Amino acid sequence: MMRLISKTIFYYFIISIPLLLLAALFSYYHIGNTLADETDESILKESIQAEKLIVDIDNDQIIYLNYDSLSFIIPGVNERHPLSYSDTSIFDTQEKEVVNYRVYKNTIKKNDKNYLIVIQKSTLDKEDLQESLFLVFALIICFLVAAFFIVNWVLSKTLWKPFYKTLFKLNTFDIKNSNNINFDLSTTYEFNQLNVELNKMVEKLQVDFLQQKEFTENASHEMQTPLAIIKTNVSALMQSNSLNLLEVSQLQSIENTIKKLSSLNKALLLLTKIENNQFKENKVINVNDIIFNSLEQQADFIKLKNITIHYDSEPDLLVNMNPMLVDVLISNLIRNAIRHNFENGDIYISFSENTLIISNSGELITINQEEMFLRFKKNDSSKDSLGLGLSIVKSILDVYNFTISYSYMNSMHTFSIKF
Amino acid sequence: MKILLIEDEPELRKSIKLYLHQEGYLVESASDFLQASEKTAEYQYDCILLDITLPKGNGLDILKQLKAQHSKAGIIIISAKNSLEDKITGLDLGADDYLPKPFDLAELNSRIKAVIRRKSFDGDKSIVINEITITPDARSVKVNNDLVSLTAKEFDLLLFFITNKNRVVSKNTIAEHLWGDDSDQMDSHDFIYVHLRNLRKKLAEKGCVDYVHSIYGIGYNFKTN
Repeated sequence: MMRLISKTIFYYFIISIPLLLLAALFSYYHIGNTLADETDESILKESIQAEKLIVDIDNDQIIYLNYDSLSFIIPGVNERHPLSYSDTSIFDTQEKEVVNYRVYKNTIKKNDKNYLIVIQKSTLDKEDLQESLFLVFALIICFLVAAFFIVNWVLSKTLWKPFYKTLFKLNTFDIKNSNNINFDLSTTYEFNQLNVELNKMVEKLQVDFLQQKEFTENASHEMQTPLAIIKTNVSALMQSNSLNLLEVSQLQSIENTIKKLSSLNKALLLLTKIENNQFKENKVINVNDIIFNSLEQQADFIKLKNITIHYDSEPDLLVNMNPMLVDVLISNLIRNAIRHNFENGDIYISFSENTLIISNSGELITINQEEMFLRFKKNDSSKDSLGLGLSIVKSILDVYNFTISYSYMNSMHTFSIKF
Repeated sequence: MKILLIEDEPELRKSIKLYLHQEGYLVESASDFLQASEKTAEYQYDCILLDITLPKGNGLDILKQLKAQHSKAGIIIISAKNSLEDKITGLDLGADDYLPKPFDLAELNSRIKAVIRRKSFDGDKSIVINEITITPDARSVKVNNDLVSLTAKEFDLLLFFITNKNRVVSKNTIAEHLWGDDSDQMDSHDFIYVHLRNLRKKLAEKGCVDYVHSIYGIGYNFKTN
């Protein structure tokens, strides 16, 4: 994943490479041509000088025009040689390399005598030109890369700062703890638009969330009275002496359903209240005491399933929590450990530092760990369960930023709660 | 025994009224705040069943008025709001009990009887059913004047049966009465059976008639006639 600014600059960089290549090619030919023209021009100047020398010549001796004996005048040639420019390579024995030369040849007729003027001038080595051009362009690319990183860093520090600020705020935004989040206005048009829209969106989100919370709470409340009416009528019907077996089982089914609906309502209401942070007063509580009470309360069910409790109550674990929530938390966990246990099973309860570990024997479950704490997610085999117990546990822990983890090993379900 | 039922929902009012009437109470009802306020100001009741969410006012204000009048009536809040705060507020204001909706009428009956029992200082606080004498305050049971030693759950079960004698009470209702919220826990009603079996055995040992009749598929009826 690349930052937008890096990407932009990266694309500029990518595009600049063929452009630079083109420029290098162009430079190569252009500089080459210019230099060649320059050489021809200076040769021409020299040839004019050479022509002037011819005036004073009266013997047939070769006249060398400079020290390297490459430019000379040969008097008295028979053949006329028209004016020509050509290129040639000569191996330089001293430098031990092939050197390119521009060769000028011309025959001038003076006083009925033909003079051949030969001027040879070393020209620029093409490889040298290529080399230096390569060096120059390599340097340019190096500078571009450096500029790429510097501009990238500077821009993301300055230009993109408002964006990263917004991003950070979004990252830390939690609708449940909706402290008034506000996206500051920016001087960059796009970021400003973004923040304005985000402000609107968050506001709408908060209003919706509040309404949804209130709806759940109100709906749960409103449902209790109709349920009460059904329940009282069912129990009145049960008093009848003339019920047949079918009617009895139908009444029983209605009663069970009312009970389930009512528990569902209660659990949803509790969840909503926990999530609405309606349990505020905290106290320092010894978790051991709560576990002890809870085990006592559930003693009947532990006995009925003949479950053995292995309770290692050392050391004391003190937490600062709402007393009712601790109660609900612990009793839900213990209930869970009883409900999903075998007959003659075991429950292990122990502490280590700030962690409470509750394990129980039980069958492998079909839902995975992430889904386990979601509402209405339950194991296929537990039809009577509402599927809300563990989501209540999770939402209580969330209020205090405590964590819970689950593992299954050797037929043991283990929950670890880190306070 | 006179009871005032303050409840705005007509259907619920009707069925509670019918039930309490069958139980032998004199029942009056009020459907909104003003009616309730008038009736509580004018008449004396043994027990008042008070819904908190009322048209034209809040039930908790009725509670405050009653306390200001030094009413001797036992007050049971019946509320759709099953919240601890409401319960604590209600009890702090002087209510005797708090019963969240939806409740079973047998449970309501047992709460009413308990409240009335606590409020009446005069006379014998024991309930006598033929050979059984049960004293709720002392949590003691005698059969033919012979003390029976019962566990807490067995005692609660017997008292609940006696309070709702000659009525069919469902297993769900019994479970909720004995274990409250934890009654969701059970997949079966075997545990009631375990306690009932022990109770029957202990009563029979003292020569008590087995009054508990199983009603197939529903629950039990403690028949005394």
